[in-house]
Order: sequence, then structure tokens, then C-alpha cells
Amino acid sequence: MSNLLTPALASTGLHLPAEPDLPRMRRERGARLRSGMADKGIDALVLLGNANVSYTTGATWPLSDAGRANVERPVAIILVDDEIPHLFTPFVTDAAGELELDRDHLHGPTYLDLDEGVDVFSRALGDLVPPTATIAVDELTGAMHRQRDVLFPDWPPRAASEIMSPARLVKTPDEIACLRRALWITEQAMADVHAQLAPGERQTDLTATFLHRVFELGAEANVLDPIWQVMPNHQADLPWTVHGDIACPLLSSERALAQGDVLWVDAGISYGGYHSDFGRTWVVGDEPTARQHAQHRRWLEIHDAVLSVMRAGVPASDLTAAAMELCGGDRPWMSHFYLGHGLGLDSAEAPYVGTDLGDSYDRRQVLAAGTVLMIEPVVWDEGQSGYRSENMIVVTEEGCVNLSDYPYDPYGD
Amino acid sequence: MATEPRPDHLALREGRRERLFAAMEDHDLDVVVLGRVANIRYASGVPILWNAGTRPFGPGCVVVRETRELYLLSTWDEGVPEEIPHDHLFGITWNPMNFVALLQGIDAEAAPHRVGTDAMSPLFAQLLPMAFPDATIIDASRALGSARRTKTAEEVEAIRAAIGVAEAAMAVAVTELRPGVSERELTGAFMDAMASLGITTPATQDVVRITSAGGDRTRASDRVVEAGDLVSFDAGVVADGYTGEVGRTWPVEPNGNTPAIESLYRRADELGERLIAACQPGASGAGLLDAYRSAGEPLPGAPVAHGLGLGFDDPVIVRDLLQTASTESLDPGVVLVVTASVSDDTVGSIVTHEAILITPDGPDVLTSSPFWNRQRSGAQP
Repeated sequence: MSNLLTPALASTGLHLPAEPDLPRMRRERGARLRSGMADKGIDALVLLGNANVSYTTGATWPLSDAGRANVERPVAIILVDDEIPHLFTPFVTDAAGELELDRDHLHGPTYLDLDEGVDVFSRALGDLVPPTATIAVDELTGAMHRQRDVLFPDWPPRAASEIMSPARLVKTPDEIACLRRALWITEQAMADVHAQLAPGERQTDLTATFLHRVFELGAEANVLDPIWQVMPNHQADLPWTVHGDIACPLLSSERALAQGDVLWVDAGISYGGYHSDFGRTWVVGDEPTARQHAQHRRWLEIHDAVLSVMRAGVPASDLTAAAMELCGGDRPWMSHFYLGHGLGLDSAEAPYVGTDLGDSYDRRQVLAAGTVLMIEPVVWDEGQSGYRSENMIVVTEEGCVNLSDYPYDPYGD
Repeated sequence: MATEPRPDHLALREGRRERLFAAMEDHDLDVVVLGRVANIRYASGVPILWNAGTRPFGPGCVVVRETRELYLLSTWDEGVPEEIPHDHLFGITWNPMNFVALLQGIDAEAAPHRVGTDAMSPLFAQLLPMAFPDATIIDASRALGSARRTKTAEEVEAIRAAIGVAEAAMAVAVTELRPGVSERELTGAFMDAMASLGITTPATQDVVRITSAGGDRTRASDRVVEAGDLVSFDAGVVADGYTGEVGRTWPVEPNGNTPAIESLYRRADELGERLIAACQPGASGAGLLDAYRSAGEPLPGAPVAHGLGLGFDDPVIVRDLLQTASTESLDPGVVLVVTASVSDDTVGSIVTHEAILITPDGPDVLTSSPFWNRQRSGAQP
């Protein structure tokens, strides 16, 4: 296995702090937000989505299962003329210890799934926001929907995505440093899982090792049930799909791995709220065949072609075009996904490149320096399975930088 | 977990759907559009890839009352039961107009008057009236909550199984508790044990806390356990969709049996007994808050009890919502996680989570993990 040290970035034009400066990161994100709110004429943001609350307040916490996260969750109110966010949180001590929030801005928990919770929250909102204010919101619970006339002067309220999407699209150096740390933790843990890979191991055994290591290494949370999908030689041996393309990712189970199984691996954790994403193809207890090595070389050609056109100012459609040109016009990625997706406080976020929104959409998406993209082409080789990996790429003014630093073993030289 | 993803078994699916359709009838809902993971699982019985945290609202499952048909967001048919045919599956899409087209097709067949959603977003507040032009778009979360509130016998079995995994994994982590071990290492040990038991999805990831450090800190730190610390374990897992949760607090030996710690455990026991005694069929949720008052313990900011099922169900009983607590009735079939939390400025906190099924005959405590103090005195069953 090659070294797992972080890559030398000095020569790439990408300057990242060794450790993220969290207060600076919060200040820079806040300035971006309020400038967007002023431009769009939005006086207040009411945010419920975990990622939006983290982005706007700086609060991070170990994300729980959605069933709990929907009910017991931090909520943010952001005012255009106040540099300090209002945070309503069940984790008051965490927030008080880490964030520069005074008692006026740090509120206790709110329960927006319950009518009484919405009553209490609407009074707090009324104290902060004048009745004529323009409010944008990311999501409403059922109880908020029922009491929409009390909460919002206009229905429907403005969409918070007008502000959040552009703000989150481009990362500051501190945000990228968080992503890089999250990825480093993931890659370290994967090295241990990789070493454990053998016939007879169950998919859940690989997950056990992965989870154990990421928490020891400082992960805040696991964010995706790890995928160890055994890819058959023939597509017909995968489940039926609505579009006729391959089915992936499929859920892991206690299935035991067998000699020669081709595994498509996908996992992610969070650090400082930022999510990692890791994708590789492994072979269980065996060396790849010559044909499998050729699949990997093909994947690398596509990957490298995409990276060769990536830089600030180019439309996302240049990326898909570079990949398709190598494939006779075919799209070398899963048709229910994309060639690439953004990464940040969500495991997949804008920009999405190569989706069913189509080429005209991709032509309008212009890459900016600081955008982080997971590039994940797929080479399917009917009769002998296929190859898929993904790398974390940062767009720079001059080009791009690959932050993924995990070897392609057992493929490649 | 089996060796391949499967739908929830037939009796589980049928029992839940009976309640779902009855709730749609009671709330006069012709169609419901579900976005929350737990509600999608409740209606469809299909396991979905687990991600941590909230997801933005979007249609994941559409249920039509009159025809009893379900439409499901799933690009493939793995884990999909036979009553959801291929032509009722729809794939992942980034174009919201594809959702509108799908819903328009359902509108043309079902001609609904009242369409409910379990959550909402500004985007779908605009799109749903386009899809259902002749229908009123209303909240359906209350209907789903009423269906999910009391559990079928099959759901109770699923919760028991999840609790079993949570308790077994917690027991492994507790064996690692000794001076010098960190919160992170204990959390890692818990996760490893959970996944080794075949369940890879935690309900919560703030598993281990040295309570002597104070407050409601959630994130595992590098902080190392010292002799005399009180360490709480909040073990939650999601097994086949259902949450199992249990919590215990252990002192770190040696120095665990100081008079101050022993006294705090007695307070925790006293409070715990009062909480369980409050879990009587038909009792008011306010009785759980009263249990704290009568034990002379201050109420914590976190919920004292919440429903257990496909997540965090109704009822939620918390200090800040007194009116809700007093109107909630603990009906037979409700499964609660009840939290006993007591603190002492010098030694820290003891936090205990017990899962309790309300039966017509009284509380049935589903959790059976040992308690440090009762184990020592030999009183542990």
C-alpha cells in the first residue's frame, strides 16, 4: 500500500491551512450569507435542515438517524442586519462552549413537530422579525404547515435555497481543510478495512472495523451506511431497475464475501460538520485479471480527461463532454446519478454535473475556484463486472487539485 | 439483518397499512405524499439506504386511499414487496418537474379532493398545487403520527429486537470502561459491536459521555476516563427500521463506591421507580413530569420521554411543553423511552434510558441491561 500522507499542495496553487480556523470560517460564511440576503431582499432565514443550520450558526453535533433528527433538531434564525445567528438547540452546552453566542442568541431546544412547539417558536420569531419582514425557509414541519398563517405573512414563503445554494457552492480554505480532514480520517480507516478484506468476511464485519476506526480517529459521526456492493459479472444478475441501467448502491447485509468478488466501496463520515466521500473498487482475496486492470486504466483515462478541463470559469458541460468524448458519446456514469457532485455539509450537494437536468443545465453551471466536486465515472464491462472509484477534486483558478490520496490497489501498477 | 435486503415481513406491512388507511379515513385524506424516511418505511415496508441527519422534503412515497395503491421512489426493485409493482416505482431525479408529472398521473386516476404531506418546502408548496389542481393541500403529519403512535404486536417485536442489539453492543462497550480509555475509543467499541451483531446503523452517535465534565455535551472527545468518573452510555440502534434505545451510567473503578456516588445512584433509582410507575395505561404524560417533581429532582431540558418506533415518535414529553404533556395520554400499545437524569455538582450525572411498553395491565419494561449499583447489591435479575 502506498503512503497515506496528505499530498503536498504547495505546488498546486491551493493554499489550505493545516488546521481549519473555525471562528474565521464562521465569519466568512456569515458575511457571504448576509450579502446574499441583502442582494435578494430577504430579511430573515428560518432554517431547519441540519446542514443549513450548521452552515449558518457553526453548530455541529453528531448527526442522528433521520427518525430522531427530524424531531430533536437545532433550528436557526438568521437576520440580515445581525452578524450573530440565533440558534435554538438541544445541545446548549456544546454551542456555548464552541460558538461566540451570547444569551440573547443562544436559545434552548424547540420542537417544531408539535403545535405547542410551533406556538413557542412563533413568539420567538415574532420578537426577532417584524411582521412585514420577508422570510425565507428551507423546510416546514407538518405543525408549521398547519400554522403557516401565524408564521409567515405570505404563502408560500421564499425559498432559503436562493441564499443557501450559492453560499454553499464555493468553499473557503477553512471549509476545504475540514473536508480534507474528514477524508483523511476516512482513508486511514479504510486502510484497516482493506487489510481485513478476505473470503468469509461479512459486509457488516467491514462496517464494524470502519466505524470503530473512524470514531477513534476523531470522526464526529458516520453519515452513510457503508456500501460494499458485490458487483456481478453480468448486469442481469443485479436487481431490475426503472431505467435499465445498473442498480447501485445496494444495501449492505451480513452476506459473506467470496474469493474474487468485485466490491464497489462507498462511505463517508463528518468532521466539523463537513462530510467525506470515499469510493474505490476492490477485489476479494485475488489479483485483478488483465481485463479488470484494463477497466481501471479506462476509468483513469476518463477521470484524467475530466480533470484536464476542470478549472474556474468553465461550464460543467465541459466535464461531461470530456468524459463522453472518450466513450463515443456514451455517458460513462450511472444514469440515476451524475458524473460529479458537490461535497460539503451534505454528502451530495450542488453542483451536480451530468444529471437528468440535462446538458443545457450543465452549460449554465460555471465552475468557480473553491468548488469541491466528487468525480465518479463508472466503467461497466458486461461479462466481467466493472470499475468505479471517486476522488475529491477542488477547482482552482489554474486547474484543479485531487485531494483523495488513497491508492487504487489492487488495481494499477 | 439478513444476507440480503428484504422488505419488512407481510404481517408487519399489513398491520401498519391498516392503521395508515384508517388514519387517512379519519383525517379525510384521499392521497398522502410522504417525504420523511420513517413514514416512507411505515407505508412501504422497504429498507432505504441510511444517511445520518435530516433530508430535504421531496416525494418518497405516495399513497392512494381509495385504491390502496402505493407509489415508491426507488430506482430498483430490491427490497420492494410484491404489492408495489414495477410500474409504481419511480427513479431518483434532479428535475422537480418529473415529480410533478408523476403526481399528475396519480391525480388523473385518483382525482383527490384532499392531499396531505408529512412535511413541506417552499418549492413543493408551489409544485403540489400544479400536480393536484383540484385538491386542497394540507398537513398529513398528524394522521401519520396517530397511526404510528401505538404499535402493532409485530412492531413491538421489531422494537424488542432492536433493543436487544443496543443492549448487547452497550455491554461490550462497558467492558472497555477503565481509566485511560477515551470517549472516542468507547464510542468506537460500541459501533464495532453493533455492526458485528449485523446492525450497522446507529440511532444516535453521541453514545458515550463522561458526565463529570458537566453540561449536555454531545460530541465524543479525546477526554480520557479517570477513576471516579461517571460515564453515561446512550445506546441507540436502528434495526430493520426500528429504533432500540437503552441508557446506563457507570462509575469508573476504583473509586466508584464513594458515598456521594452511592447517594446519587439511590436518587436515580428512586426517580426511575417513580417514572415507571407513571407509565400506566390511560395516564397523562404530565405524570412523567410529576415524577421528577415528587422525587425532588429538577427537570432536564431534554425530553423526559419520547415514543419509540421508526424513530422519535409521539408522544414527546418535555419540560418546555407542559400543555402537550398534559394532553398526551399513555395509551396501551405506546412504547416510550423514559429518561431518568439526576445530577450532583461534585460527581456528575447519572442518566438512565428505559424502553417501556404501555400494556392494559401496566408498564412492561423492555430493557434489561444491568445497573451498576443493583448489580453490586445482587438485586439485578
